[in-house]
Amino acid sequence: MLHPVLISIWLIGVWLRIYQQAQFYQIEEYMSGRYLRWLLAERARALPARPLLAWLFGIVLCILLSEETAIQRSHLVLSIAAIIAILPPPRRETKKPLIITSRVKRLLVSSGLIALLVLTAAQTWLIVSAPADNIVTISASAAIGFVCFLLAPLWLVAGNALVQPLEAAIRRRYLTQAAAVLQQINPKVIGITGSYGKTTTKQFLRDILSARYHTYATPKSYNTLMGISLAINRDLADDFRAEYFISEMGAYVEGEIERICQLTPPDIAIITEIGPQHLERFGSLENIKNAKYELIKNLPPAGVAVFNWDNPYIREMADLGYPATRLTVSRELTIDQAKARDLTWIASDIEESLSGIAFRATRVSSGENTSISANIVGAHNITNLLLCIALAYHEGMPLRDIALRVRSLRPAESRLAPRTTPAGITIINDAYSANPAGVVSALKVLGMHDAGRRLLITPGMIELGELQESENRKLGLLAAKQATDIILIGRSQTAPILAALQSTTFDQDRVQVLDSLQDAVSWYQHNLQAGDAVLFLNDLPDTY
Amino acid sequence: MSSRRRQTVAVIFGGRSVEHDVSIVTGHQIMQAFPAASYEVLPVFIARDGRWFTGEPLLNLQNFQDTDLIQRDGVQACLLSPDTRHHGLIINPLAPRFSKSVIKRIDVVFPALHGSHGEDGSLQGLLELADIPYVGCATLGSALANDKIMTKMILRQAGLPVLDDYAFTRDQWLEEPDAIIAAICEEFEFPLFIKPATLGSSIGIGRADSAELLRASIDIAANFDRRILVEPAITGGIEINCSVIGYGQRYEASTLEQPLSWDDFLSYEDKYLRGSEGMKSAERLIPAPLNPELTEHIKQITVSAFKAVDGRGIARIDYLVRPDEDEVYLNEINTMPGSLAFYLWREDGYSRSDLVEKLVALALEAYAVKRRNIYDYQTNLVELASQRGLKGGKGKR
Repeated sequence: MLHPVLISIWLIGVWLRIYQQAQFYQIEEYMSGRYLRWLLAERARALPARPLLAWLFGIVLCILLSEETAIQRSHLVLSIAAIIAILPPPRRETKKPLIITSRVKRLLVSSGLIALLVLTAAQTWLIVSAPADNIVTISASAAIGFVCFLLAPLWLVAGNALVQPLEAAIRRRYLTQAAAVLQQINPKVIGITGSYGKTTTKQFLRDILSARYHTYATPKSYNTLMGISLAINRDLADDFRAEYFISEMGAYVEGEIERICQLTPPDIAIITEIGPQHLERFGSLENIKNAKYELIKNLPPAGVAVFNWDNPYIREMADLGYPATRLTVSRELTIDQAKARDLTWIASDIEESLSGIAFRATRVSSGENTSISANIVGAHNITNLLLCIALAYHEGMPLRDIALRVRSLRPAESRLAPRTTPAGITIINDAYSANPAGVVSALKVLGMHDAGRRLLITPGMIELGELQESENRKLGLLAAKQATDIILIGRSQTAPILAALQSTTFDQDRVQVLDSLQDAVSWYQHNLQAGDAVLFLNDLPDTY
Repeated sequence: MSSRRRQTVAVIFGGRSVEHDVSIVTGHQIMQAFPAASYEVLPVFIARDGRWFTGEPLLNLQNFQDTDLIQRDGVQACLLSPDTRHHGLIINPLAPRFSKSVIKRIDVVFPALHGSHGEDGSLQGLLELADIPYVGCATLGSALANDKIMTKMILRQAGLPVLDDYAFTRDQWLEEPDAIIAAICEEFEFPLFIKPATLGSSIGIGRADSAELLRASIDIAANFDRRILVEPAITGGIEINCSVIGYGQRYEASTLEQPLSWDDFLSYEDKYLRGSEGMKSAERLIPAPLNPELTEHIKQITVSAFKAVDGRGIARIDYLVRPDEDEVYLNEINTMPGSLAFYLWREDGYSRSDLVEKLVALALEAYAVKRRNIYDYQTNLVELASQRGLKGGKGKR
């Protein structure tokens, strides 16, 4: 005998759970392995307590009440238990809610169908194998519902696998279309890669070149094959004005930049910084270097490459001698050193303050120079600017036009942008994949603030593989020098920072470990006052 | 109840301007002000890159947080045709396969654009070509009021009080910065204000206490405009704003406000988002605490200045005032004030819908007046020319 109400409730529950889980699946970029690892990392995610207890309680209650005549009552009890079990968990503030894209719609439909199919098949099997309508079969029916509910992540993964051929076809069509658009518009393509500094450099370069050329850059931190093709199809199509197209190229594995280069064959390449970012996914720094070098390899012989000479890994790339036109920049060498090493541009007379950076940019070969100042904080941005200056000059922009435009640059969104709240608290936001080089700059900026307390809020750095512990230790040591108060978010991944802090003379009463960003924000809102400063370092995704 | 059909009002917002975001807010305030019973509101959104869109999702301000908004179902490309017979929007102009373009007739256009490519006469020029009634200043008034250098020239001519200034172009600045700094220091004393000639709000505006800061501020201003002006910063003055509506012979000045800033200069966000919701008392004083004579004086200047630039529709005029000395200086004329200065007109008994309906009425009135001009004047010139051939015989062999 079928129990339609009970089965329907569980089916709705399964669908609801699929929908909830889709958010995290999306954050993990539909990578099933990564998503399942995240899911299984905490029992509460894979086996939530309330559904389990509600279901068990329902079954136990049924058994206690079990009499042949009480089948209707069992049905009722189990249905109520099921409703309690499937009620969505209270909504937490999410930083990244599920974005309903066409892909998510297809995913939800296919995984929803799989769940429906499995649940129906299991219930049918139950009826066929145990036609009697008693407490055992109804409990089994509830058990099937519960198991299907628990396995919702699996249906999601299976649903994703099912639509793979379709997704692949759609992706291929999208890529073909983007390639056609690019060919038709035919702008000069500038590829930017690096472990960090890509987005900032891209936006600086776009703004500087725009003072003379019609320049289009991929928005925000779009830097994957699909992200770039989306931007091309959406924004570049039919825009026959475009003279330069700046393509930010990110990579998690070798070969990724190669593929992006096939879509957007670069004429110009810029390499910003190379470091242990995403080391976990790459395996080794050597692999990271190889991955980034794919951009240079894809340049035509007449292409132009711009290198950050101060980074030893990038310096090695420049020394490989391809292509013929290589622009190298440094903010560490003197003019004589630069001449001896045949560099293109250097920065000297560097001044840093809370209101921005200033330096002298000198073209090494000719001695031509200009003073540059920008309302952008962080020493690492001097390198980012120098890369842009070198290229813009090479592309025919007068130095004075470049310098003029640099004056009006603004920091990229969520990247080390100080601002003052109406309450007079300075907020320095670097809430984007903190990295070792950026952390040093950001903490220095915090340290420059001398009006009041200097609070650091951070969950530490992640995805640095074997270097994660030592880099976070360094973060702790540096923070002890620059901050007056520290809030660490999350206990486990901030342990190295805490250990480092405890090894210093930093007042331990001024270090707290809190569970969430919300707690940290509410703490500073209650405890800081006008004149104080807060640095947000690295905003983790919801899956952490 | 009127038996007249609902009028279609196209509200244009966004735009290719540094004030793009503010315009989105203003546009939505205006769209919400129209009573649905008598108006059909058609949202027209100009993206930052200058593409035009229309469609249902653009009516919801929340949707503008979505970067992929323009790709949503229901958002369609459109353009405003300069062809007088279209009299409206061509929706889906480059219709792809399996779709077609349609014409959406418009009764009146309400531009809610701030700054360049919208408040400067360019959009107004397009609307003149299209022969569609529109709210606000016409081409000339928009262009004049948009340019602070030109505004002050006209107002000086009209005998209205404005500060002296030193104006120059970006090219001059790039050629001879030292000469310009020297000339400015010769003419004025610090502190100084540095302004791009055509920007509204506070973007690109700097204040300098020294020659070094003056250079930096001019550098920034020169990124926003080709024309730049420097004027002395009045110390001990307060800011006073007054709005004006009208056309032809009838103009009306609003209650005065004194905007307050917690810093010594308004930051960009300040100027627009304050006062939008329950912040009135904290962010601005309405009415401004001036004596009745001075208040009346400023209202008169407001009307005269608006007339002087051939104003029509609405404006908010900003002043610097030293109440104790009875000194008043007109700072700038905004022909599309943020939030339409709703908060000022409320004091004068205009609800939001009263105000937008009044502005639509003025637009239709101006359109009727324009009809009195003769644009079609038949001659037999072409006939003669084709018979005799063109002078110089170039067209003939």
